Amino acid sequence: MIVSRVATSTSERLQATFTRPVRLAVGGAGSLLVVAGCLLPWATFFFGFPGKVTLAGFPGGSRLYPLLLVAVAPLLLVAVEGRRRAGLAAAWGVFGITAFNIAAIGFGRDLPLGLLEERGGGGLGAVAIGAWLALAGGALLIAAFASLPSSDEERPFRPGLPAALELLTIALSLGLILFAVVIALEVDETSRFISLIAFATAAGMTLARLNVFAYVTELFDRHRTVTLAAAAIAAVVFPFTQGGNAYWIRVFASIGVFAAAAIGLNVVVGLAGLLDLGYIAFFGVGAYVGALFAGAARTTVHVKLPFLVVVVMGAVIAAIFGVIIGAPTLRLRGDYLAIVTLGFGEIFRILAFNFDWLTRGPNGISGVPDLAIGSYNFGATNEVLGFSLPGFANYYFVELILLAAIILAFTRLNDSRIGRAWIAIREDETAAAAMGINTYRLKMLAFGIGAFMAGAAGTVNAHVTTQVSPDSYGFLESILLLAAVVLGGMGTIGGALLGSAALFIVPEKLRSFQDKRLLLFGIALIVIIRFRPEGIVANRRRKAELHDADPSTGDASGAPPGAPVVGAVAQ
Amino acid sequence: MQQFLQQLVNGVVLGATYGLIALGYTMVYGIIQLINFAHGEIFMVGAFAGLAMYSYVLPESMQGNPFIVLPLVILAAVIVSVTVALLVERYGYRPLRRAPRLAPLITAIGVSIFLQELVRLFYPGARSQVSFPRIIEGPNLELGGVTIARTSLFLLVVALALMVALQTFIRTSRTGKAMRATSQDADTARLMGINTDRIIVLTFALGAALAAVAGVMQGMRFVSIDFRIGFLGGVKAFTAAVLGGIGNITGAMLGGFVLGIVEAMTTQYLLGSAYKDVAAFVVLIAVLVFRPQGLLGERVAVRA
Amino acid sequence: MSVSASSAPTAATPPVLEARGVTKVFGGLTAVDGVDLEVGEREIVGLIGPNGAGKTTFFNCLTGMETPTSGRISYRGRTLSGKPHRVTESGLARTFQNIRLFPNMTALENVLVGRHCRTSQGVLSALGRGPRYRREEADGRARAHELLQFVGMDRHAETLARNLPYGDQRRLEIARALATDPGLLLLDEPTAGMNPQETASAMQLVRRIREQGLAIVVIEHDMRFIFSLCDRVAVLVQGQKLVEGTATEVQQDPRVVEAYLGKPVDGG
Repeated sequence: MIVSRVATSTSERLQATFTRPVRLAVGGAGSLLVVAGCLLPWATFFFGFPGKVTLAGFPGGSRLYPLLLVAVAPLLLVAVEGRRRAGLAAAWGVFGITAFNIAAIGFGRDLPLGLLEERGGGGLGAVAIGAWLALAGGALLIAAFASLPSSDEERPFRPGLPAALELLTIALSLGLILFAVVIALEVDETSRFISLIAFATAAGMTLARLNVFAYVTELFDRHRTVTLAAAAIAAVVFPFTQGGNAYWIRVFASIGVFAAAAIGLNVVVGLAGLLDLGYIAFFGVGAYVGALFAGAARTTVHVKLPFLVVVVMGAVIAAIFGVIIGAPTLRLRGDYLAIVTLGFGEIFRILAFNFDWLTRGPNGISGVPDLAIGSYNFGATNEVLGFSLPGFANYYFVELILLAAIILAFTRLNDSRIGRAWIAIREDETAAAAMGINTYRLKMLAFGIGAFMAGAAGTVNAHVTTQVSPDSYGFLESILLLAAVVLGGMGTIGGALLGSAALFIVPEKLRSFQDKRLLLFGIALIVIIRFRPEGIVANRRRKAELHDADPSTGDASGAPPGAPVVGAVAQ
Repeated sequence: MQQFLQQLVNGVVLGATYGLIALGYTMVYGIIQLINFAHGEIFMVGAFAGLAMYSYVLPESMQGNPFIVLPLVILAAVIVSVTVALLVERYGYRPLRRAPRLAPLITAIGVSIFLQELVRLFYPGARSQVSFPRIIEGPNLELGGVTIARTSLFLLVVALALMVALQTFIRTSRTGKAMRATSQDADTARLMGINTDRIIVLTFALGAALAAVAGVMQGMRFVSIDFRIGFLGGVKAFTAAVLGGIGNITGAMLGGFVLGIVEAMTTQYLLGSAYKDVAAFVVLIAVLVFRPQGLLGERVAVRA
Repeated sequence: MSVSASSAPTAATPPVLEARGVTKVFGGLTAVDGVDLEVGEREIVGLIGPNGAGKTTFFNCLTGMETPTSGRISYRGRTLSGKPHRVTESGLARTFQNIRLFPNMTALENVLVGRHCRTSQGVLSALGRGPRYRREEADGRARAHELLQFVGMDRHAETLARNLPYGDQRRLEIARALATDPGLLLLDEPTAGMNPQETASAMQLVRRIREQGLAIVVIEHDMRFIFSLCDRVAVLVQGQKLVEGTATEVQQDPRVVEAYLGKPVDGG
């Protein structure tokens, strides 16, 4: 509260004292400092800090990010909607990234949480002039943008481009996303990865506040077929870009399976509004079915069925479990449902642990063999059009087909009589019943379909991981799935994909604090629900629901409704 | 028969702990209709705070004297638990008070994970089980062939005393009346001049204090704790609260005892220890399905 | 003004609604106490009474949202089962005193939800998107637009319900109820919070709905609205039906005055 009051009054003072010429001078000076600072060295001597930070005239490593963010400086000149907040996001990004790198260069080893175990040190003496210039430049930019009037003219970002250019924009946007992913995958050093995340956040917020995202989303919406086709092509092409290396293909296959389950959960939580905290159990049922009937090396059922049959079997059995669990519990109120599903999830884990005769207890089923259709072995490396594809790419494609099917099912259900009924139940169950919706039956349907999708994903997962054991299906895994849905954006496909990808890639990258990743995950859940409850990819409905429902949610002080707001009185 | 009585006693002692934690769930739910999912971790944090007091603050010379050790350990547990609970309320739940129900529930899950990891990573040795002092030493009591540890007897007495004290406080004190008014209708209570925010804070603090005592008890009884006790302890206590009728204080205690006895009996006679946690979940599900208002809860009319 | 005092149902055609001895007890409180009500074809029946008289509870009993402690309710001669969605399927639709739209759905989607029980395409059909699915979806949308037009808000079809002005929300709720193709419409205080112009247009709307062949029961506190619109008025006081009759009969009944204003103080 105190902090925010100081901040407000500071920016008010800035707005009062900075005239336009002063603002432009400060902003211009800031930009020049940042540019110069990023071209000059950030470290005085070389000690293995990534990105050639001792070189002059070369913006290597993390120095690139502030340099890119300075591109917002011209916003000081033109009036567009949200430019003050957009500029501030970028300026804080410049400042933050620079400050973080100063800390990393100076004290990397001693940072809290063991953030950067392997590098940095030597104190502030190791920090060179460039970093300080960039930091000062960032501060000036913050001041310049803060001095802009708070209320910008309303002017939504909607350039009336011809259709061809719109398609080009879509292609460029998708290309940019792909490029960002490739870059992100190539960054190995923790400090650079954190800088990159900071950059992505700052750039993303800048673009969002300029309404560029809204525009691009609208374009995607309008040219849905083109977008989908492009995305599909990108996904199919991806394994060919890995030069025969299976590592990231494997990661993406895992992400895909996880995302498929997350979309299933999205039916339950995002559409029907039923909080299921034991959802992973359905995934587990599918995985056990998949492993048991695949002719694994260490198993209890010595029957091998064709893969497709097993997928359907796993999905159907999971759906049956869904109905069995749903039947008694779906009459309960929402938060009770959460706890009961949690209970069922735990029961599943405990049973899997103790039913040795079927699940081999804690050892699990392992040694799931490679799939083979006819004489085609999925484990072998293939040459396609001169590209070498590691065997794992086959599973990647299987996963891609599964994901595509589940996405298709989700979108079609969402936009149908059934989907509308689910959303109506989520919004107001009593009114939905009064409109002739059999709420119990439809909730059961959501539960069953969600379980079906999880079961299908589970059977595929048994082949991706080649082994199944009870500990992979605990409470935490349910929460991770839920987090993928919530963080990404409830009720959206993009959100589930993005959330799953983030939850897999970020820990993969931040190896040096792998031990702390759950801690960070907990913090992330709290922070995201607090400040962006609609998730990264906002669903139009959700956003309205979560932000406008109560005027006081925007109030950081959390003052009780009706209490005078200091800032408002001051105006 | 002797075995039965022994299990009954075990169950009652176990149930006393569940009941104490359940009170926190039930009070918070009664006031703001929130399932404070992180409450189990408050209990866990309390246990660790008590242990920290014992191992790091108390001089070794005093560690033998239960009359000094016990109050100080409990005091430390209560202070830390209450502080944590209030921080969670202030920065986690309060900003979300008017958000859809899903939001605070997810925050609560985040808080749970955060607190667990905090303890696991930063409490020395907490990555695995940590041993807890028995504090009250001395031979077990024998009563008609039933063995009762001194600790257990003490726990039972303290738990019952706290429950009675809480009842009296809520029934008779001014603040207790304000709490009841707020739980009936927070908006009207506010109009009547009750500072509902203060009442909510107080409720969280009371619940946390009771959970902290339960945490110390758990440690003394099992002579070891680990960072995971909050999850199961929390779920079981929640079950107890639901069993008794959520929002109902007497119900939470009753639910605790019933659940403790059920757990002890099923472990002994029905399922064996591998499934002892299943019993609690089965009870929870059965209650919610067949008597969702709980043993003592009243059916509330749904307003159209 | 000559409206038949009670539309006496003939044996051949059962009344649209027939409620016999509907009673609802909450704990020790009898909210609705043995209320009888009959509604004939194309009839507008008003339900009035002081606050807390049990009007809304009575509605809830009719629509299956509360299970009556005793009593029988039938629609066109068929006894209604207790479940709300079944009641709606049978042909009763309602609005709510405190508007209950689906706030984050558009006006059009709200009405489409009302079509739910008159459509039948299931999961497989939604996944397959065959010709029948598309026909039904197109028909549903056409009907929804028609209804929005009927209540005069077609141009707001794509607006989220939460963003609609108050009067429009009330009208949207009516359109949504009409989408279930009801034979009897139950309106719970349709003009609460409206200004005189809005009330007048709501009155028009109710008349037009009757012209479509529907019977209507309306709870209202606005007496001008009730007395100029209703064929028959029933007065509920403390859960019991005190009087039933034409507008004039009810207006002149001393017991009604007493119920609203209290007993006149006797000279002694």
